[in-house]
Amino acid sequence: MSQLEHFKTTVGGLALGAVLAGGWHSVTTALLGSTSALPAFGAIALASVVPILLVQKSVRRSARNAERTLLQRLAVLDLHAIVNVVDQNSILTEVNDHLLKLTGFSREELIGQPVSHLYDPDDHDFTNSILGEIKQGRSWQGETPLRRADGTIFYTQTTVLPLMDEKGNWCGSISARTDVTQHKKLLAERDTALTLHELRDDVWIVDEKTLHFRYMNRTAMARFGWSENEYSEKSLVDLAVEQETGPILDACAALHRTGELIAHHEMSVLGSHFDVTIKLLRNKRSSGRFLILLNDISDRLAQEQLKADFISMVSHELRSPLTSIKGSMGLLLSGAAGDVPSKAKSLLEISHRNADRLVLIINDILDLEKITTGRMEFTMCDVDLDELVKEAIAASAVTTKNFGQRVLFDGVQGSEVIYTDPNRIIQVLTNLISNASKFSRPNGIIHVSCVEGPRGMTLTVRDEGAGIPAEDQHKVFKRFADLSNSDRSGKGGTGLGLSICKAIVESLGGSIGFESHPGSGSSFHFVLPSDKDDREKGNHAAQRRVSG
Amino acid sequence: MTVKKVIMQPSVVFRAEKDIMIRLLHVEDDADIREIAKMALELSGEFDVLQCSSGEEALATVVGFKPDVILLDMMMPGMTGRQTLEEIRQLDGLKETPAIFMTARAQHAEIEELLSIGAVDVISKPFDPMSLADSIKSSM
Repeated sequence: MSQLEHFKTTVGGLALGAVLAGGWHSVTTALLGSTSALPAFGAIALASVVPILLVQKSVRRSARNAERTLLQRLAVLDLHAIVNVVDQNSILTEVNDHLLKLTGFSREELIGQPVSHLYDPDDHDFTNSILGEIKQGRSWQGETPLRRADGTIFYTQTTVLPLMDEKGNWCGSISARTDVTQHKKLLAERDTALTLHELRDDVWIVDEKTLHFRYMNRTAMARFGWSENEYSEKSLVDLAVEQETGPILDACAALHRTGELIAHHEMSVLGSHFDVTIKLLRNKRSSGRFLILLNDISDRLAQEQLKADFISMVSHELRSPLTSIKGSMGLLLSGAAGDVPSKAKSLLEISHRNADRLVLIINDILDLEKITTGRMEFTMCDVDLDELVKEAIAASAVTTKNFGQRVLFDGVQGSEVIYTDPNRIIQVLTNLISNASKFSRPNGIIHVSCVEGPRGMTLTVRDEGAGIPAEDQHKVFKRFADLSNSDRSGKGGTGLGLSICKAIVESLGGSIGFESHPGSGSSFHFVLPSDKDDREKGNHAAQRRVSG
Repeated sequence: MTVKKVIMQPSVVFRAEKDIMIRLLHVEDDADIREIAKMALELSGEFDVLQCSSGEEALATVVGFKPDVILLDMMMPGMTGRQTLEEIRQLDGLKETPAIFMTARAQHAEIEELLSIGAVDVISKPFDPMSLADSIKSSM
């Protein structure tokens, strides 16, 4: 082999080997490195080498350019993208600085950790999809939420490429990601803006200082017949003069004055009834804005009034014939119309009892309806609990005497006066005593207690009856609960009493519960809050119901 | 409200037979309830009762009857029980006469309101006919 052929073989061999062994970057190194092996030849030989040297120089220049371009591209990629490499066990082997900067992790915290360390623990379903693709040698693209060191989440658009070893086997992957959190936020804001614009409620945004309108949605613009240009020249003051929306102006002024950030009002303005929500939005970069939402509740109020009228009508229309039915049977049973044969009397008693039951059902349904629609009346005052419990026991005497039962009450243990609605508490107590009586054995004892505890006054009614089967206990407070050992028709229950008790007690800021052991009776208790705040909550709830 | 004063015959007049009678004006549009109340009050033997089927009828006859107590249904077509009482209160000699309402709408607020306009008691429907007489007497 000639020297020239030897050179060509050497250079070519080095280059080919470098490509096979190390890729493009190694090729250039191999070419440059081979020059040191150039022997000194004679003039003829040198003359014939010159063209080769020129080729070599050109190759070297091309290689440098390619390397520079590659490095520039890598630098841009490194600055722009979040890059990490994992091995085939999904263990992080390399992360770039940009990833560390955005996540707040140190390199030491990440290298050697599973890549899932970077993912949102609640949202990493995509990992199976990635593995499925790259194991097949295919790339994967999609959105991946990443977790920062402080636990917060940001969103990335991600491309994952499989890495193959020299034999073409999959040996890991490289991921390049772009932070798209801001982009997503902008999209979400755009969606929010579109939603606001299309909302059926009126949406106004008003400058806190100048009170000029900064935004009106489509509904609001349509209400006033204004375009965007027209409303931007108007202020809340103009509107108050032109459309008598003074209450809204006053509410904004109150927020501005007090520094409170949100207010809710029910107002009659613009010829309709509105639920008005005003939120004062303040930030350091710009002046404050009032976000004003007007929800037209005229239809709802009309529906509620119709419902109330219907309830009132039902109440009257059902009670009037019942008055005649019950009254007639009562007179017959009393002998007002002469002696009644004993068999007929038995039948009359059944009818009379069931007329009573029908009255109770109507009362209970009306009570529940009133509670549900917020129309139950509560009259709060300071109440002597001792008197109240005794009154409830007296009111239940008809039922308990029928069964030959005694009601024991040892008096109030603790503070005797509490702020509540006495009539409603008597309603609850009589219901519980009546239940205890109906489900106790005849001639038994019903215990009533009233004890002050840390949460308030606990009133308990305990019986010595059969108790409530364990499988039924979860539905005790449900309406028309069908308990396996109850017999409503025989005992005069409506199936609504306990759900009404629960609603009343909770409306008064208290809580209700029970304990029952089959075979040894049940104990129902309710707590009336003695804490002033809780009482006030109950009172406010009650007041809302009254005014509702 | 302007009420047209007309001479009308009361629906039912019946007298009990005891020496000291309570003169009761009963205004109720439901004939069945009137009948039950009549029977119940007859049983007590202590009432002279004038029954009317409307507020208008009651106004036309109340002055001549001079009741000791007035029993009024609340919900009636035409004048309500409340309107009837307000008109009766304008009449001489009837400003202080005890009035008792009967109502199927025994809401606490309504009861309070009726008491505030001069009612001495409110009886809820359905009522117990056997205790009606005692309820009225204890309210007077």
